Amino acid sequence: MPGQVITITSGKGGVGKTTATANIGVALARRGQRVACLDADIGLRNLDVVMGLENRIVYDLVDVVEGRARLRQALIKDKRLSELHLLPAAQTRLKSAVNEEQMKKLCDDLKKEFDFVLVDSPAGIESGFKNSIAPADQVIVIVTPEVSSVRDADRVVGLVEAYEKPTPKLIINRLRPTMVKRGEMLDTADVLEILAIDLIGIVPEDERIITSTNKGQPVALEDHSEAGAAFQRIAQRLMGVEVPFQVFEEAPGLLDRFARFLRG
Amino acid sequence: MNPELVSFKGTREGLTITLGEGEWRELMNELAAQLSRPQAQTFFRGARVLLETGNRAIDVLQLEELIAQLSQSGMTLSSVLGEQRTMEAFAQVRATIRAPAPLVPAQPAAPLAAPEIPVDGAQAMLLHRTVRSGQRYHYAGTIVVIGDVNPGAEVVADGDVVVWGKLRGVVHAGASGNDNAMVGALILAPTQLRIGRYIARAPDDRGQRHAPAEIARVRDGQIVVEPWYG
Ligand SMILES: Nc1ncnc2c1ncn2[C@@H]1O[C@H](COP(=O)(O)OP(=O)(O)O)[C@@H](O)[C@H]1O
Ligand SMILES: [Mg+2]
Repeated sequence: MPGQVITITSGKGGVGKTTATANIGVALARRGQRVACLDADIGLRNLDVVMGLENRIVYDLVDVVEGRARLRQALIKDKRLSELHLLPAAQTRLKSAVNEEQMKKLCDDLKKEFDFVLVDSPAGIESGFKNSIAPADQVIVIVTPEVSSVRDADRVVGLVEAYEKPTPKLIINRLRPTMVKRGEMLDTADVLEILAIDLIGIVPEDERIITSTNKGQPVALEDHSEAGAAFQRIAQRLMGVEVPFQVFEEAPGLLDRFARFLRG
Repeated sequence: MNPELVSFKGTREGLTITLGEGEWRELMNELAAQLSRPQAQTFFRGARVLLETGNRAIDVLQLEELIAQLSQSGMTLSSVLGEQRTMEAFAQVRATIRAPAPLVPAQPAAPLAAPEIPVDGAQAMLLHRTVRSGQRYHYAGTIVVIGDVNPGAEVVADGDVVVWGKLRGVVHAGASGNDNAMVGALILAPTQLRIGRYIARAPDDRGQRHAPAEIARVRDGQIVVEPWYG
């Protein structure tokens, strides 16, 4: 059975596409799935850094498309998980170096060898977005619980529908339970009410994402971080396992405790 | 030259291009041929185009191709008249344009001429979907949405607008100057609501509402919202 191409995108930039691609890739590979992560953010490549594989790059996506390297030569094998692979983006090339047909062909080839091809896409309003949507069997839209992010995500959902792809699934990233509780942040229901698409995961705000990103060690490699566990659940859902959605409870922070003390 | 395939007509507003019967490729080649004539370059530059597509269903990719073709000759596609699927595709293509073109002037202007197309039950566009941010539907009759109209979306009709869902985007009924048009929705909370020459902004907080639906219309020179109890 051929694998599936899942494109991970967003309306706004910087909401966690690359983080999600790396971590879902890790979580799937830990479950024995053969995974290829593909960096389609040409010119702004950073998936290799987040996955800690930057120093192994020899060839990139454009080299494959233009026939300078075979797919097998360009794919980088992960140093920790044998089933995980990365096809890096070209750092110096323009986005126009690749077209939709070439991306489709590339993904068709990858699908023969991998169970999951995860495409890290540029944000939905940039050029290059279409290239990453064209080969998708399924699209995941990432949103942070902010009005502007939801508005831009809504626009992207509309675009994905316009390209006659299946309705995307949603990941809400960087949720902060205590802020939601104080009514300072949109909650899951608020976001879903506007976007009206199915949720595939909620990832809490987690400091470990930042430290792990800096070290090139995605959090999903371990089990004891909240965000890592959230990516594990997303991977399971992608594999067709039903996993209940978690209700996040943040440990009361110092300020909260102080406020409670003042209130008595 | 084959005007059976693609014909051009100058109007007061701009240029009307009508697509005839034929394979899409054939039509595009004909359009390219007509646009490449030297006179065309000077005549058409800057023109706003109304595209008439007849009964043919044109998809998003085809529309994008056509828009690209027109823009090479300095023309912009401003509206489409045709089959429902084609018009929906047009609305979706426009979603890629960041700032939608401004509507009619915000100030009440002199009464406009009556709409040319009679607005009645036979002239309705049915949208069975969520109308999303950045999408803009414009129709020369009534628009009925079964679904929500999200913030950032725009629905503009020469006739009435009825939303079987939450209306939170921008809505303009009677857009060609008909002050008698109305807007109805299960939850009426638009960012901005216009009827004919009138304009209203939703109050920032409207509190609880209990009616199953609401209707906005113009009474005594202003837009009023009334509960609708069926
Ligand atoms: N759940 C999270 N908790 C904390 N920081 C996060 C989380 N998700 C993403 N980040 C941080 O947000 C920034 C942008 O993330 P990134 O994945 O590069 O976004 P994108 O690829 O959409 O531009 C990075 O610095 C990343 O470490
Ligand atoms: Mg990124």
